[in-house]
Amino acid sequence: MPPDASHHAPDAPPANGGRALAARAAGFIVANRWLWVLSTLALIAFSAARIDQIWPPDPSARIFFAPENPDRQALDQFEARFAKDDNLMMVVVPEGGDVFTPETLAAIGALTEASWQLPLVRRVDSLTNFQHTYAEGDELIVRDLVPDPGSVTPAEAEAARAVALDRIELLDRMVSADGAVTQVLVRFMLPGADPQQEVPLIVAETREMLERVLAGHPGIEVRLTGSVMINNQFATSGKEDSANLLGPMFLVILVIVGLALRSVFATLAVFVVISLSAFAGLGALGWMGIPLNSVTVLAPLYIMTLAVASTVHILAAARQTMPETADRKEWMRRALTDHLGAIIVACVTTAIGFFSLNFSISPPFRQLGNIVGCGVLAALVLTLTLLPTLVTVLPIRRRTEPPATGVAMGRLGDWVVRRWRLLLPGMTVFAIICAGGITRIALEDDFLRYFDERYEFRQDTDFTEARLTGVNALEFALPAGEAQGINDPAYLREVEAFSAYMRGQPGVTSVATLTDTIARLNMDMHADDPAYHRLPENRDEASQYLFLYELSLGYGMDLTDQIDIDRSAMRVTVALAHVTTADMRAVTADAAAWLDANAPIIAAAWKESHPGLPQVTPTGVTHVFNIISHRDVRAMLTGTSVALVLISGVIMLALRDVRIGLISLVPNLLPAAMGFGLWGYGVGAVTLAIAVVIAGTLGIVVDDTVHFLSKYARGRRQGMSAEDAVRYAFRSVGMALLVTTIGLFGGFAVLAQSGFAVNGDLAKLTAITIVLALVADFLLLPALLIWLDKRSTTMTTRTAAVTAALVLVLAGAATLPALAETPEEKGLAIAEAADRRDLGWGSYTVEGEMVLRDSAGNESRRAFENFTYEREDPSLGDMGIIVFQRPRDIRGTGLLTHSNIEPQDDDQWLYLPAIKRVKRISSSNRTGKFVSSEFSYEDLGSQEVPDYTYRWLADEPCPTDAGLTCHVVESYPKNPKSGYSKRAAWIDTAEYRVQKIDFYNRRGDLEKTLTYAGYKEYKGQYWRPDFMRMVNHQTRKETDLVWSAYDFSAPLGESDFDQSRLPRLAR
Amino acid sequence: MQMVMRHRRPEATRFAAGVFCALAGIAALIALVSPAPAGAEEANRLAFLEPEHAEIYGNVELEGTLFFQPPQFDDQRRDDVSMAIEPTLLLEWNDGDTVFTFTPFTRFDSQDDHRTHFDIRDMKIEQVSGDWAVTFGVDREFWGRTEAVHLVDIVNQTDLVEGIDGEEKLGQPLLKLSRLTGIGEFSAYYFPYFRKRTLPGPEGRLRLPLPYATERAEFETGAEEWTPAFAGRYTGVFGDVDLGLHGYWGLSRDPSFRVSRGRLLPVYSRIAQAGIDAQYTFGATLWKGEAILRQGQRNASFERELYVAATGGLEHTLYQIGGTDADLGLLLEGAYDSRGDEALTAFDNEVVGGLRLTLNDTQDTAVLLTGAVDVTDGSASVRLEAERRLTPHITAAVEAQGFFNTADDFVNRGFADDSFVRLKIKYYF
Repeated sequence: MPPDASHHAPDAPPANGGRALAARAAGFIVANRWLWVLSTLALIAFSAARIDQIWPPDPSARIFFAPENPDRQALDQFEARFAKDDNLMMVVVPEGGDVFTPETLAAIGALTEASWQLPLVRRVDSLTNFQHTYAEGDELIVRDLVPDPGSVTPAEAEAARAVALDRIELLDRMVSADGAVTQVLVRFMLPGADPQQEVPLIVAETREMLERVLAGHPGIEVRLTGSVMINNQFATSGKEDSANLLGPMFLVILVIVGLALRSVFATLAVFVVISLSAFAGLGALGWMGIPLNSVTVLAPLYIMTLAVASTVHILAAARQTMPETADRKEWMRRALTDHLGAIIVACVTTAIGFFSLNFSISPPFRQLGNIVGCGVLAALVLTLTLLPTLVTVLPIRRRTEPPATGVAMGRLGDWVVRRWRLLLPGMTVFAIICAGGITRIALEDDFLRYFDERYEFRQDTDFTEARLTGVNALEFALPAGEAQGINDPAYLREVEAFSAYMRGQPGVTSVATLTDTIARLNMDMHADDPAYHRLPENRDEASQYLFLYELSLGYGMDLTDQIDIDRSAMRVTVALAHVTTADMRAVTADAAAWLDANAPIIAAAWKESHPGLPQVTPTGVTHVFNIISHRDVRAMLTGTSVALVLISGVIMLALRDVRIGLISLVPNLLPAAMGFGLWGYGVGAVTLAIAVVIAGTLGIVVDDTVHFLSKYARGRRQGMSAEDAVRYAFRSVGMALLVTTIGLFGGFAVLAQSGFAVNGDLAKLTAITIVLALVADFLLLPALLIWLDKRSTTMTTRTAAVTAALVLVLAGAATLPALAETPEEKGLAIAEAADRRDLGWGSYTVEGEMVLRDSAGNESRRAFENFTYEREDPSLGDMGIIVFQRPRDIRGTGLLTHSNIEPQDDDQWLYLPAIKRVKRISSSNRTGKFVSSEFSYEDLGSQEVPDYTYRWLADEPCPTDAGLTCHVVESYPKNPKSGYSKRAAWIDTAEYRVQKIDFYNRRGDLEKTLTYAGYKEYKGQYWRPDFMRMVNHQTRKETDLVWSAYDFSAPLGESDFDQSRLPRLAR
Repeated sequence: MQMVMRHRRPEATRFAAGVFCALAGIAALIALVSPAPAGAEEANRLAFLEPEHAEIYGNVELEGTLFFQPPQFDDQRRDDVSMAIEPTLLLEWNDGDTVFTFTPFTRFDSQDDHRTHFDIRDMKIEQVSGDWAVTFGVDREFWGRTEAVHLVDIVNQTDLVEGIDGEEKLGQPLLKLSRLTGIGEFSAYYFPYFRKRTLPGPEGRLRLPLPYATERAEFETGAEEWTPAFAGRYTGVFGDVDLGLHGYWGLSRDPSFRVSRGRLLPVYSRIAQAGIDAQYTFGATLWKGEAILRQGQRNASFERELYVAATGGLEHTLYQIGGTDADLGLLLEGAYDSRGDEALTAFDNEVVGGLRLTLNDTQDTAVLLTGAVDVTDGSASVRLEAERRLTPHITAAVEAQGFFNTADDFVNRGFADDSFVRLKIKYYF
């Protein structure tokens, strides 16, 4: 008798209704085989219908930036103001190590000339066509540095060298200091109409052009880099990945499945199912109408790897039935009956994990999540329908000897049961030590080095950064604060000083700024007198020089990409080489601090034009990548939490056991924490892939847990002891878990070979996590189960749940804070907590009196009644009515407000009792004073959380009551029409009541302070103040707002707040 | 025709008495039929009538008017002093779902007997029950969106002697039933009684060249003032657009005039009217429009005519001008009437522009300056309204209007020499 025949026994407890249902479903599946063949064909046809949408891949680095990513929006704005630069750097390396020879200059000239013929070209810059300026008498001469490169004398070449190595605009940018390397910089204007074709076309034509030109100029080597090449690399690496990895992947799966099943036809069946699943996933992408990209191109491989697990479970189960009967349908009936539930749960949880990638801010990961999620669901359907059909139809050889594997796993189970007292603490310590490495993880995104050294692009880029100039660029748009403001000498001096400061920063290779050109022009206009190599002294000179210069420039050489259209901002491009993301963030922060301290015009103009963003921030593709991981980690924390809750819910539902569901959280979450930790010890730096790893792997590692726990739970229900149930679980699913884990590890190990770091890191982390998950399932979970069940005589389910939750919280506490809780998040969390505590009050009325006091102490009063109604839909603000009682002449005047979320204006109606008229009024006047008080309309309007961005500053004793602790949170209004640059609020930690708010005006000065007093609690949870005092520090006026007679039980309905009812309430 | 001059109670008083009796009768009926609690004393039977909230408030006004030129017509007198009082009694029951409002109004004028008048502005019971609402009694209700010309505002008769801008209205007896729905409010009105327009007497200024014979008004219906009228109205809000639609069937609020023995007899004809009014709130700019289609109204030539009239324009507010707290509103509106010169209003083809300055100070100082030009005949008028609170209970207001280049037609000629300044002091209690 096979060792695990017990669970096939027909005398299974009748109470097990799920199993009876599974048996019925299994019977139905096996009986309708041809139906499944037909439905599979239908699935293939459906998937194929739009499959043409996904090819060719999208060749752009910008696919990682979603349109709603604020950094992307800043980049788009910058490019709209100046130019969208897609450049191609043709780095020219002459054999002799000297650029300034007649031969090399001729080659550069020829390259420059030929580059103008490339498609979509906007501008070509090189040493030869550099716009050299000098004075000839009183005249300003602007000409190409090498006017006729075809026939240069050695003397002319030397003259060019003298000029080029002297000009800061060229040095370390167009030519290296030793004169050994130069570049031809080609800029393109990509219309973006057909991104999949534009870049490959340019690259193909460039290569052809190079071949043609260089044939006539031997001894010249040209290396290619720049954003066009990066984009091209994104496309080609995706194609190469899919081509290079597909073969090894199939091989790995073939070997593992073949060894496990020892059957050619069973392996074939597996291949059919996983291939169709991958095809269905791609079909889903086609229906979404999105082309593949460098990340999603690997999605089919993910799907295949994941789909193997389910098929192996079915086939392994079939293998266990083989010795008993030759009836193939019976193999499948039993396999399905036993594993149907577990496979459904496993696939659904995997799909949930991947679908949760939709929370990512990076579209490729959302798409990856959707493709894999759909593919896994397709795999589920196919495993349950097509696979049984194939098994019954294909001539799979029956094996009569009992499967040996159960024996080995039985031994492992025995060992675990014997040693559980050692394993439990041992594994716990091991897990904690592993997870400790998380602190060593650094988020690094250098998109130039997403591609490893095997790629020619990477080699060329490294060469360029080592020998010529940096390829990474931070773009600063420095505002002057007014149109034509760039001609202001004070502003120009700030820009010049900033450029000089940046040139001294570590990693900076060059700074491109127009002030260099202006200084040079000043000298040229003064007969090349070096004493005048400085910025002009007055506005008119600066503007005249630029005007003259522009008039004299050659074709395609205008200044529109340096100065914006109304001449209110200048662009400074800082090129950096061999710097990490952290370095660049430091450079960015230093630059902002320097500008704040040393460039008052620029800093003030920036604050004026960027409310909510107090410091000058650069942009550029590099900058967006610099902070994308930080943003995505935060976004995915939500996604991961949602996935965790959903997946845990599915497990509890499937196992019908809350306790076991809670226990399952430990082996589900721990592997990811341990995996990150090991990565932290071993590698440290990680790309933006990290954000999506937990969510993605969660769904996968859950499978093992579900299979193990469902068998354990069944054993316990059949009356086994905890130890026997563990042994039973090992015997029945241990081998399948081992095989699938090896298969998954093999698959992801292949994917990890991708030369594209985002894919490579994702696959490596996933592979590590999956292995650790098996370790946790085999060594920690059984020990935990035995320990908890031993204690079950004294321990209620409730305390077990608490224990498990505690373990989870501890594990979570160890992992998450390292990646989370920036001041911005904490600020938002406080605002949300305060908002949450103030939900559900429904409606209330209150009487208010305003006492307006001017600086001389003269008082004037207004009394009113206030009605407020809370709208449940969080996308709508609250509704309120203010009805004035005094002064008597405005008695009955009513103001009805329907608040909207910023930046949409509120809806407001005014009721004038004298003429009985309801009038819709404009509410765009946020900064205006409400009835001439110090409260603006903005201050009194309903404050919704999404109206602001937040930043937590500190916790300190409350200014109103030193006995309380207050969070100090700054909030920055999102609406540019706001009268404030920021508000600083003191919110007590006890009840989240606002105690004090400082209002800073748009110039950043402290304008007003609002203090709250006399908080009372209503309806047992809602706190309202009796007294508010707003003091205007600028005018020394103040307004007290005294509240009385709060009534939360007033019978107000939504209809009372309709504009047609306003005359009735206002009386 | 009742030509005999006999003593009549002012018609408003008579009417008020009628409505009051009706209300009292209903209240008594309810009191009698409602079952008294067992063992309760007789007095408790009416206990539910005791209001939860009772309040009296209102204002007294002293007014002086100076004209720049002597009057054109023999009967008219030059300058004018007058006084008015408008108290309100407010009673509430059922947490404010049932409200009784009573607002009488009286003016005593030193010169014009017709301007010395009494009216009941409001005397109504309002009952709200969820989405339903009922109003019974005398009420005032404004319809419309625009600032200068009010085309769709037809519920109330204009109290013209109060001011030629037509903003003051007489109370209108009505029964109104309205229901609030997801797309707005639908209301049905029944007007059992018609109010005649108040018109200046022979001594009064700001009138047509011939004196009015208000007491000899003619009706083109047999029931005269008791001619019933009906109306339906819908108002709704769609995002930034406020929309109103209405239909009206009954006597026109605008009299036509017939000359009889050197006096103008107001003639009220039965009309049917449909109209639309809308406002689009776009940031600080309000776009407004009103239009009506009316059939049955007699024109200046005393002929019935189907006509269209429309008015529209915009109001844009500049907030915190010059860094102060003051707001400046810019108004521009045009009016069109398909009857042209045959129209009985001054607004046949007119453009009105204006500035509204609100200082946003503690005294709520506001100034409105408007200028109107008739684009066909070039006659123009400029109007200034300014208001400021002096103490918490007293406000002062100045109203001035100048008429320039006045057209020599029947409607406009009478105003040619009537440019005036009016000062009002109001005490609120």
